[in-house]
Amino acid sequence: MTTFDATVPAAQIGAVAPAGGFVRFRGEPRPFWRLLAHGAVLLMFTLGIYRFWLTTDIRRFLWSNTELAGESFEYTGTARELLLGFLIAIAILLPLYAGFFLVALRLGELSSLLALLVLTVLGHYAVYRARRYRLTRTVYRGVRFHQSGSAWRYAICAVLWWTLILSTLGLVYPFAQSRLERFKMRNTFFGNLQGRFEGSGVRLFLRGCILWLIAVVPFGIGSVATVRAVDWSALADAAGGDDLSSWLEASGLAGAMVYAGLTGIWVLLAFVLLYPVFQAIVLRWWTSGLRFGEVAVTSRLRTAQVLGVYARFLLCAFLFSLAAAAVVIPGAIVIPKLTGELDSMPKEIVTTFAGVAAYVAIALGYSAIYQATVKLGLWRCVVESLDISNPAVLEQVTAAGQPASPVGEGLADALSVGGI
Amino acid sequence: MTTSGSGTFFDGATSARHAVAVELAPEGLRIRSADGTLLGEWPYDDLESVPSPAGVLRLGRAGSPVLARLEIRDREFADAIDSRSIPVDRSGRSERRMRTRVIVWSLIATASLVGVAVWGVPLIATRLAPLIPYSLELRLGELIEVQARASLDTRHAGAAFECGNTAKEKPGRAAFDKLMNQLETAAGLPIPLHPLVVRQPEANAITLPGGYIYVFQGLIDKAESPDELAGVIAHEVGHAAHRDGTRAVLQAAGLSLLFGILLGDFVGGGAVVFAAKTILQTSYSREVETAADAYGVLLMARINADPRALGRFLSRIAGTTHPGPKILLDHPETRDRVAVIEAMSGTAPTRPPLDQADWAALKSICSSS
Repeated sequence: MTTFDATVPAAQIGAVAPAGGFVRFRGEPRPFWRLLAHGAVLLMFTLGIYRFWLTTDIRRFLWSNTELAGESFEYTGTARELLLGFLIAIAILLPLYAGFFLVALRLGELSSLLALLVLTVLGHYAVYRARRYRLTRTVYRGVRFHQSGSAWRYAICAVLWWTLILSTLGLVYPFAQSRLERFKMRNTFFGNLQGRFEGSGVRLFLRGCILWLIAVVPFGIGSVATVRAVDWSALADAAGGDDLSSWLEASGLAGAMVYAGLTGIWVLLAFVLLYPVFQAIVLRWWTSGLRFGEVAVTSRLRTAQVLGVYARFLLCAFLFSLAAAAVVIPGAIVIPKLTGELDSMPKEIVTTFAGVAAYVAIALGYSAIYQATVKLGLWRCVVESLDISNPAVLEQVTAAGQPASPVGEGLADALSVGGI
Repeated sequence: MTTSGSGTFFDGATSARHAVAVELAPEGLRIRSADGTLLGEWPYDDLESVPSPAGVLRLGRAGSPVLARLEIRDREFADAIDSRSIPVDRSGRSERRMRTRVIVWSLIATASLVGVAVWGVPLIATRLAPLIPYSLELRLGELIEVQARASLDTRHAGAAFECGNTAKEKPGRAAFDKLMNQLETAAGLPIPLHPLVVRQPEANAITLPGGYIYVFQGLIDKAESPDELAGVIAHEVGHAAHRDGTRAVLQAAGLSLLFGILLGDFVGGGAVVFAAKTILQTSYSREVETAADAYGVLLMARINADPRALGRFLSRIAGTTHPGPKILLDHPETRDRVAVIEAMSGTAPTRPPLDQADWAALKSICSSS
């Protein structure tokens, strides 16, 4: 991104952007696709080590092309920092995993629960620290963002809220989000300008509760029906023995399977169709709640835009699947013929290797498509939907804050809870 | 030649925008505000081009804690700065060189990782396994036993996982114990064995850390003589004596460490880790199986049973197992193994470890009810 793109028309250069109060995104999809395709190939050959460079490139692209009041953002983080953060995370996690192993020897089954709890808290801790890293690497008009607040406190609050969310099947999600976002934004600063969050949990609840009723209530009814259809005493009575079908009939398992199948299909359909709608609601609510001092944000994001983004993703993924099938199916026919002469052991290795390579290539392809369509598409339509009031305040901010360590990013990467 | 131009300047102290005139002095950039005040003097070699959108050259001062920024939008003027400053490199050549270095070193690191996985991990596990105290191995065995039971016990047949507990099966259990007693006494291991016959249709047997030996029902069904069964069990006792279960746990932990944690997380990485582990563990098992075969032959000779029976049994089940058989994946080429077993076996006269009646009882150890 540091290069001066030679293809930019002369008229665009020199035309100093107006200092309006609007936000826009100037990134073209083509260079982003190129970035991702290049990255996917290198990820495969370096067994993932290249991801620090790819992540940095993606962030540079998104930040640099996001323009607020005529000035674009700058991502100053480097891949080396991410690599360092990852190495620190390994230094922390290795003794921890060794500890889990020793505890497992002593406590048995209980220890996996303990490990899950510790890793969940650590995951949220990492998310908060990673956010701090990203904010302190975000520069706008020569002034950096920064973040205060205890990451441990955030992690414990987040774990408690998520326990509540799971135990109420998502019903308290809006309130949890508004609380957690309030905590994050209260601790977010642009220079000396403190952020806050004004989105109301009740409002999000009212907007989202229809979705909840459509998706979760049939799931609840279906689950209850499934459980009740089973004749538990007949099931416990293992005398059914060898005759599987009569045993299925007697125990009511056959009926239960029908209920479970219908519930599963419903949940899957609801997820595919409603998730974009849900995401649009949450994104609109979230961005409209962001405040920095006098600066307020409102979003005009339309649900149809988000649906369009996902439709494009599905189309690209479908075309890619066809292309992948056109390569994999002939490959699957040819390779066994070529290796027919070999002994069983080398043959096993060649086929496994080919299979794994194909799988990884396809998985990376889908991932690149997802990033280029969904990630970039959502970023673009969210950014362009924003209206900023009082942008003049952004011109009178005093610099404050120091760059934070990348350890949070490293932990988030090692625990697979990374964000952008 | 361009020697001056205009730009936008942020001083790094506040977010105020300054329209500035920039002069290309011999030693560096001179930045002046509209009223002529000197805002900054930046030596060319301190300049750093920082991420910016296409069409904008954004400069900062390398290594400076103050984030002062100068933005140039005029292309010719940007070119003029570029030609004077060594660190500013808009062609991206130095960046590309750096990336190439990263890629080359990543590939070397990958090769080194594979090397350690193929030769280092089994070596370390082999050296480490004898050092683990038996008390720890017993504890480990108990844990793994619970997991093995959970994964093998399918339960749909309605009968217990373990054979030999019902009235009809008791004589079989007694015969099995008789066989195991001979083998265990002859082996003289430092820890007691826990042999079990389990209701599993495959012709297989496994040994877990802590002396747990599972003999699958399918193995007993396929065995044609007590010598054949005893041969396979003697082989498994060899695994227990060599502490191969513990060694396998150490190997798996080492591989998880190498591939799971160091490799980190990327899309599709899980499949790479899984396949690498499977192939490597298979390759480790070759020597281990050969050593257990040798132990089995010696143990069989010690109880005066027929050591060649193991070879006969192996070649018979290797021919009949289904495609992708476990025994082929886990074991070196059967033909080679049989040849080695033949070569090791002596010519001393042998007698079956169980008499006809006991053998018949053992054959029906999983008849249930």
